[in-house]
Amino acid sequence: MKNYIIRRLLQIIPVFLGILFILFFIVDRAPGGITSNIMDPKMTPELKAALKAKLDPDLPFYTKFWNWLVQAAQGNFGFSQKHYRPVLDVIKDNIGCTFALSLIAMIFSMLLGIPAGIVSATKQYSHLDNFLTVFSLIGLALPTFFLGLLLLKVFAVDLKWLPSFGLSDPKLANAPFLTRLGDYAYHLILPSLVLGLAETASFMRYTRSSMLEVIRSDYIRTARAKGLSEKVVIYKHAFRNAMIPIVTLIGFRIPGLISGAVMTETIFSLPGVGKLAVEATTTRNYPLLIGINAMLTLTTLVATLIADLLYAAVDPRIKYD
Amino acid sequence: MNKKLLVSALSSVLALSAMAGCSNQTAQTGGEGGTTTAQGEQTLRFGVSGFEGVFDPILSDNVYDSYVTSLIFEGLVTNDPTGEAVPKLATWELSEDNLTYTFTLKDGITFSDGTPCTAEDVAFTYNTIKEPDYAGPRTAVGAAIADIKVIDEKTIAFTMTDPSPANLLNNFTYGIMSKDHYAHSSFEELAALNDQPLGTGPVVLKGWAAKQYVDMVKNENYWDPEHALKIDGVLFQNVEEDAILAALQNGEIDFCQPAAKAENVEAVEGMDNSHLVSYLANGYTFMCFNTTKPTLSDVRVRQALVYALDRESFLQAEYGSDQLVSLGMCPVSPTSWAYPDVSDLNAYSYDLEKAAALLDEAGCVDTDGDGIREMNGEPMHLRWLVYPEATWPGTLSGMAYDSWKQIGVDLEIVQMDFNTVAATTMDAEPGQKDFDIYTMGFSLSIDPDPTGGLFDADAYSAGGFNASGFRDERSQELIKQGLQEFDQDKRAEIYKEWAARQNELVPTLIVAYRSEIWGINNRVHGLDDIGVYTDFTQLISNVTLD
Repeated sequence: MKNYIIRRLLQIIPVFLGILFILFFIVDRAPGGITSNIMDPKMTPELKAALKAKLDPDLPFYTKFWNWLVQAAQGNFGFSQKHYRPVLDVIKDNIGCTFALSLIAMIFSMLLGIPAGIVSATKQYSHLDNFLTVFSLIGLALPTFFLGLLLLKVFAVDLKWLPSFGLSDPKLANAPFLTRLGDYAYHLILPSLVLGLAETASFMRYTRSSMLEVIRSDYIRTARAKGLSEKVVIYKHAFRNAMIPIVTLIGFRIPGLISGAVMTETIFSLPGVGKLAVEATTTRNYPLLIGINAMLTLTTLVATLIADLLYAAVDPRIKYD
Repeated sequence: MNKKLLVSALSSVLALSAMAGCSNQTAQTGGEGGTTTAQGEQTLRFGVSGFEGVFDPILSDNVYDSYVTSLIFEGLVTNDPTGEAVPKLATWELSEDNLTYTFTLKDGITFSDGTPCTAEDVAFTYNTIKEPDYAGPRTAVGAAIADIKVIDEKTIAFTMTDPSPANLLNNFTYGIMSKDHYAHSSFEELAALNDQPLGTGPVVLKGWAAKQYVDMVKNENYWDPEHALKIDGVLFQNVEEDAILAALQNGEIDFCQPAAKAENVEAVEGMDNSHLVSYLANGYTFMCFNTTKPTLSDVRVRQALVYALDRESFLQAEYGSDQLVSLGMCPVSPTSWAYPDVSDLNAYSYDLEKAAALLDEAGCVDTDGDGIREMNGEPMHLRWLVYPEATWPGTLSGMAYDSWKQIGVDLEIVQMDFNTVAATTMDAEPGQKDFDIYTMGFSLSIDPDPTGGLFDADAYSAGGFNASGFRDERSQELIKQGLQEFDQDKRAEIYKEWAARQNELVPTLIVAYRSEIWGINNRVHGLDDIGVYTDFTQLISNVTLD
């Protein structure tokens, strides 16, 4: 097990470097640069070229790649040219909200989706199952922007129960910690509901189909034949095996915790990594784009490893050495 | 059990985000942290998205950060509602050779920390732009200024590189920075002070959080009691376009600038708590022809294409309201004193027959009977670059596709993102600009001088703004004359002739002049004078709240 983890961690290094190398190559080939969207006629081509030489010197992409690696090793992940601030600071400003929003949405969707999937599978074709199936299909089919704007209209505009935008009330910036915490929660209710509903549906579908497969297998029949109660059969014997595909699903969702949700962030005017990445692309702010992608790549690689380790935890048949 | 787990998980997550969220706050509260909000505090709340936290007058590069810097800082001069330069921090005198401006600072100017603002601070601000490692967006200002000389504590002389009547408004409206506060030994050190602004303006920054808010309060040490803030503060709240009208209607914000669309006008006019302010903006949308292509180098072909474009229907289809847009005529905005008499301009009203006749006259006819005209053996096949960030280029090119087909012109619409269009048209080397037509919008500065812009033949280069490659000697002569003449009436005549000439030769068609709209809550007084040359920051000392 220990050897396996070490081996996997070592494997991450070349994969990470490879992906970054490709990223630098693509960025190098992309049309337009940091000065392309300066629309000031007083900025003559010479002045623009001089500015670009300072902000983004004309170097081969492999040199830029190497320079980035050397600086990253010293904890410097580049300078965001539009913000005139270190990339790490800009990401830090946005990642807190993204992480909180996604984690709440994920926990909410797991707590709701997995039990609903189990119930749905054990009572297959019952009214409850049909209801949950229809509900989850609606959840999957409803576009986020539609659901978001709908909830915004109902709860923020018509009922005025919840705020329509933002993460916090600026007037509480110096309030005690707990007050601020409550304020964040108050602002995140709607966005996390919107983000969580779609995921609830997908967790439910996966759990249901996985559970159905397990319930039909021989050892479940054996367990029932032994005279075990239905509760024990489902929750002790079937559930653990049915969890394996769910663990994969959770593993896939971990990078999502920091990659952000552009739609939800936009509708509810929240700071977030998703929107930041889009802005970095449209403004050709390459250091920021590379910083965000490097972070996402690393998280994805580590999350896959964690998912693999979780397999062993839920399924004793899987052993690593 | 599960419930407990959930609660503790949620609170730890929130704690994380709370820590991340407050990281900015600690940096700028600067001793004033204790003043928590009293009930009934009068704060003007602006709903806006897009501020980046670059609150430095010589580094801010977007309009929202610039709003913040114009509130916190003041420049030597500003402009009045008609677009004329007027003194702000200083009065000025221009030398006989039109090259040297001598500014005299007003009495008693202090920064918000109480220290006096002197000629040394002015010199510091402009010298910082001229530093070799300065990598901000004001390098053009640095290049326009040849020499800076401090004469005494209140007097400073700037010698310009070239004389120009546009020098004053182009270069001397930027905020003056405190030399003590902004002392730096490298560009990075200067940039690190971006979110700790210190200027002479009527407000000071209290705190801000990225993509959330910018919290500003009254400058209690403001030097000019006549223009001191009547309210307690100004708060920018990050609200995206999707939710901005909901926030206005809810009373969560006091004013905002929604996109100038008919449905937004209707929505604001339908609100009982808010009202609408609209005005024609100083800018235009345009459609540029690559005149280095043999077919498009013929003025009759360009005119024919414009005649065959039903712009009136386009404006109706795209904006749905006459209140918000008018037909583009020439590269000067109707808001300017340099706008020509409309009778001197051709509106190119939709006329397919005239278009066909012009093409025939140019020798562009269908010789092989395939429905597409040829010119010198080349079929009339045009590539139009369209970016999806705005909807109007798609609408316009779609209409052109249909109507041009009727006059035997084949159009290919090529989609690429905004920066790629800019890179293909403006950034590419002359001769390698791979397009026939592209469309974009452009905002103008107050002074109508077109040097370096879309219509200046000398700006046809890699990175220059003229991608059409069109050169007309008379137009170039007029542009030069416009900069040598300091009498505004005489200048106006020069630009009127120039503008009418562009309207006739159409190297680039001005598609439309557009309006801007603001939704303002009825509890706000003093903001209704927002206009084309007056942004809300210039009105801030008039604002009162119910």
